[in-house]
Amino acid sequence: MRSDNKLRRSVLLRSGAAALLVAGIGAGVASAAQTVTLTETGSTLLYPLFNIWVPHFEKAHPGIRVTTQGTGSGTGIAQAIKGLVQIGASDAYMSNGQLKQNPGILNIPLAISAQSINYNIPGLNGHHLVFSGPVLADIYSGKITNWDSPAIAKLNPGVKLPNHKIIPVHRTDGSGDTFIFSQYLSFSTPEWNSKVGYGTSISWPAVQGGLGAQGNPGMVEALKGNKFSIAYVGVSFTKQIDAAKLGTAKLVNRAGKALLPTASTISAAAAALGDKTPADERISLVFAPGANSYPIINYEYAIVNKKQPNKATADAVKTLLTWASNEGNSEQYLKQVHFKALPKKIRELSAKQIAQIGS
Amino acid sequence: MSAMHDAAPARLTTLERRRYATNIVGWGLCTLAFLLIAVPLLDLVLTVTLKGASAFSIELFTTSTNGVTGGLQNAIIGTLVLSLGSLLIATPIGIGAGIYLSEYGSNRLAATVRFLADTLTGTPSIVLGYFSYITMVIGLGWKFSALAGAITLAIMVVPYLARITELSLRRVPTSMREAAYALGARDHTVASRIVLAAAAPGVITGVLLSLAISVGETAPLIYTAGWSNYLWTGKLTNEPIGYLTYVIWTFINEPNPESHALAFAAALLVMLVVLAINIGVRMVMRRDP
Amino acid sequence: MSKVKPFRLAMAAVALVIPLALAAIVFFLARYSWQAIGFNGLRFLWTINWNLGNLYGNTVMRHGYEVPPGANYGILAFIVGTLFSSFLAILFAVPVSVGAAMFLSEKAPARMRPWLTMLVELVAVVPSVVFGLWGIFVLVPLIANWISPAITATLGFIPFFNMSNSTGSGYGLLAASIVLALMITPIITTTLYDALNQVPRELRESAYALGATHFEVVTSTMLPTARVTLIGGIVLALGRALGETMAVLMVSGGALNYLPGTIFTPISTMAAFILSQLDSALQDPSNMAVKSLAEIALVLFVITVLVNAAARLLVRRTINVRNA
Repeated sequence: MRSDNKLRRSVLLRSGAAALLVAGIGAGVASAAQTVTLTETGSTLLYPLFNIWVPHFEKAHPGIRVTTQGTGSGTGIAQAIKGLVQIGASDAYMSNGQLKQNPGILNIPLAISAQSINYNIPGLNGHHLVFSGPVLADIYSGKITNWDSPAIAKLNPGVKLPNHKIIPVHRTDGSGDTFIFSQYLSFSTPEWNSKVGYGTSISWPAVQGGLGAQGNPGMVEALKGNKFSIAYVGVSFTKQIDAAKLGTAKLVNRAGKALLPTASTISAAAAALGDKTPADERISLVFAPGANSYPIINYEYAIVNKKQPNKATADAVKTLLTWASNEGNSEQYLKQVHFKALPKKIRELSAKQIAQIGS
Repeated sequence: MSAMHDAAPARLTTLERRRYATNIVGWGLCTLAFLLIAVPLLDLVLTVTLKGASAFSIELFTTSTNGVTGGLQNAIIGTLVLSLGSLLIATPIGIGAGIYLSEYGSNRLAATVRFLADTLTGTPSIVLGYFSYITMVIGLGWKFSALAGAITLAIMVVPYLARITELSLRRVPTSMREAAYALGARDHTVASRIVLAAAAPGVITGVLLSLAISVGETAPLIYTAGWSNYLWTGKLTNEPIGYLTYVIWTFINEPNPESHALAFAAALLVMLVVLAINIGVRMVMRRDP
Repeated sequence: MSKVKPFRLAMAAVALVIPLALAAIVFFLARYSWQAIGFNGLRFLWTINWNLGNLYGNTVMRHGYEVPPGANYGILAFIVGTLFSSFLAILFAVPVSVGAAMFLSEKAPARMRPWLTMLVELVAVVPSVVFGLWGIFVLVPLIANWISPAITATLGFIPFFNMSNSTGSGYGLLAASIVLALMITPIITTTLYDALNQVPRELRESAYALGATHFEVVTSTMLPTARVTLIGGIVLALGRALGETMAVLMVSGGALNYLPGTIFTPISTMAAFILSQLDSALQDPSNMAVKSLAEIALVLFVITVLVNAAARLLVRRTINVRNA
C-alpha cells in the first residue's frame, strides 16, 4: 500500500539520518575525550588575528580546541561576564560600573591594534584625504553634510572635493571600534564629549541617510556599496579595503599632524602612553601625545573571568592567553593584520593578570 | 442584454467592448500576479542552487568550519542534533495533545487549547529565543547548549504537530473506534493501536513538516545554541553547538568569497531538505486524499 | 457513575503543555521586564531615541531606578519601522495574492493546477534566513540600480519617493517590505484559493447565464462571498509580517534613532532590533537595557497575539498541510 511505502521511506530516511548522527557524534565524542574546548567571541577587529592564531596554537597544544566568533566587542564583554564563553575579545576595556558589578573579570591585552577612517569617493580613493576629530564629529552629528564643505576643504587645500552628500556609516552592534572612534571624537571635540560621549554603543545623532552596519565586514561592505560614504574600520581589514580600492584617510593627532596608520605611527602612540598602563591594564591609547603618534590605537583585550568552572578549563585558558601574548605576538602573525606587538612591560603586566586565573 | 455567446454578434456596443477588454486585461493582470510570486521563488532557488553547488566538494562534508572558511561538517551534524532533538521532545507531546483534541476534545478546555496552540504558532521566533535565553541559558545556567536550542525548537513545532495530528485522527471513520470499543478495547488501545495507526501517514507528515520548520529556523537558536567550530561532543548543556542557518546568516557578512560560498552551500543544504520534505509531503497528500 | 479515565486524563495533561508554555513565556517576559516597564512608562512608546546612556559612567538613580546616566529608552522608531514595513507588505501582497488566487482557481490549466498551486505554497516554506540571503544578493542591488531610479523618475515629485533624500544603498524600507510581501503572499493566496474553490457552482452558473464575462463572474459574484475569509487571511498575513525577524534584519539597513523619510531609507523593526541589540544591551551594568529589550519582546508578543486572534475570529480555518 502506498501509505506503507511512505512509512517505509520515512523510516529509512530517519534511520539513515540517525546513522549519520551516531557516526558524527561518535567522532565528536571520541575526539572530545581528552580535549578541552574553549570558546572565544567578540571583537571583529581581533577576529581575523584569532583565526590566524588558532590553527598554529592547536598544533602546538593538541589538547585544546578553540572556537572563534566575530560578533562585536559588546558581545565579547557581555558573554564573557555571563560565562557563556571563556574569552571575550574586545577593543574596549570594561567600564568602572561593569567592573564594580563583576569584580572578578580581567582585561588582558593581547596585541596592539589601530583603526583607520576609510571612504569611497570616486576619483579620490587613491588620495589620502585629511580629517580631524572635530570635523569627523561634525560629519557624524550631521553638522557637515557635504563633501565640499569649507571645513573639509580647509584640511585638504588644493583637492577638488565633490559636491555630494556625505553618507556616514556607523556600527549598529556593540562595537569596540565604535568605542575607540567615539573616544577620538570625545577627546578632541568637547561638544561631542558632552553631547554624545564614548562607548561601545552610543546614541548616534540622527543623520538622514546615515547607514548602520554590523561588524567590521559590514562596514567594508557598506563602503563598497555606497559611493560618497565614510566609515571607521579596524586595520585588520586593510587587505579588504585595498582590494576594494577604497580610500584611507590621514588623521590629525593631538600634536596637529596628519598621519596614516603605519607601523611607526602606531608604535609611537603605544610608546607615548604605554608607560602609563596601570596594573589592571585598562587604559585608553586614543589621541596619544607625540608628533608621530597615530590618534586611534588600542589594546586588544581578552575579557576573562578569574574563576573558571574547573581546573582543566582554567589551565587551557591560561595556556592560550600566554601563547597569544608571546608566540602569538610574533611578526609573522601580526603583520598579516597590521597589528603591533605588546611591549615587554605590558607583556609582564598581562602575565601577572593571567596568573590570577584559576578555578 | 444580448448574450455574449451568440455565434456572430452583429456589432459590439461600447459597453460590451469595454467589458471584453476588462476581461482580457483582468486575466492578464492575474497571470502577471501569479508570475510575480513564481518568478522570485524560481530565481531564489536557482541562485541558491547555482552559487551553493559551486561550493560543493567532499571537503564540505568532511571538514568543520574554521573561522570563516572550511567545511560544514560541524554545522550539518549540529542541525541534525538540534532538529532531531527537538522532534524527540515535541513528538510525544504533539501527538498526545493531538489525540486529546481529536478523541476527547469537544469541550471548552479543548477549544481553549486549540486557540492557544494557534497563538503559539503566531509567536515571533525571536520572542521564543529571548524567553529561552532568560529561562534556560541564564536562569537555569545551561549557557549556550544543545538542550536549550532543542527545547526552543520543540516549543515552536508542538502546536503544528498537535493540530496536524488532530486533523489526521479526525479523518479516521468513527466506525473503527466504535468497533474497537465494542470488542472491549480500552481507551489507550483504541487511541494508539486503532486510530493512530490508521492515521499514521498524516501524523508522519506532521512530523516531517516539523522537521522542515526546525531545520530552517535561525532566530530561536542564536541566543540558545551559540556556535561551535567543532563537532558536537554529546554534552547537552554548557557546550555550544553549530548549525547550518548560523553559517548562512553570519558568513554572508564576511568580506571574502570563501565565506560567501559556504553561506550559499549551507543555504542549498537547508533548502534541499526543506523543499524535499514539503514537495514529498504534498505529492503524497495528492495521491491519498 | 463517572469513572476517572486515566488515559484521557493523561492525554489532557499532555495537551496542557501548550497553554503552559504560552503562560510561561508571558510570565517570564513580564517578570523580567517589570522594572523596565516601571522606569520607561508610556513614553517608551512614543520616544524615538533608544539611548543606552553613558555605559562608561557610573549608574545614577532616576525615578527610583538605577540606570546609566542619560539612559532613555524609546521604541517609536521600531514601532514605526515594524508597522510601516508590514503595512507596505500587505499593500503589495494583497493585489498580487488576489490576482494569483483568481488565476489559480479559474485560469490555470487543470492539469498544471496542482503544480502551480504547490509552487505558491513552497514560497511559504522557504526559511526566512534564505530569503534574507536572496534579498542581499538579488533584491537589494535590483532596488539600488533599477527600482529606486524608476520610482524616483515617476513619483519623485513626492519627497517620500525621491531617492535623492536618502542613500540609495538599496537596504531599507522598500527592500524589507518587498521581502515581507513575498513571504506573506502564499498565506493570502491559499486562503482565498480555498475559499474560491468552495463557492457553489450555482452561483457561477447563474452569473454566466446572465451574460457576465469570465472576469466579471469571478470579481462580481465569487470574490464577494469570500470577503470575510479574505480579510481573515490578510490579517493572518499581517500577523506573520509583524513578527518576521531574519529576512528583515538582513535587508532593512539597521537604522537607529530616526524615522524613515523616504521609502528607500533604512529602518529597524522591533523583532530585528531585539536580535541585533541584545549584546549591546547586556553591557549595561544596571541591566535596565536588557529589561527594556524584554519589554519590546512583550510589546511585540502582545501585538502579534491580538492580530492573530482577530484573524482567527474572521477565518475559521484548520491548520492543514498547506498552511503549516
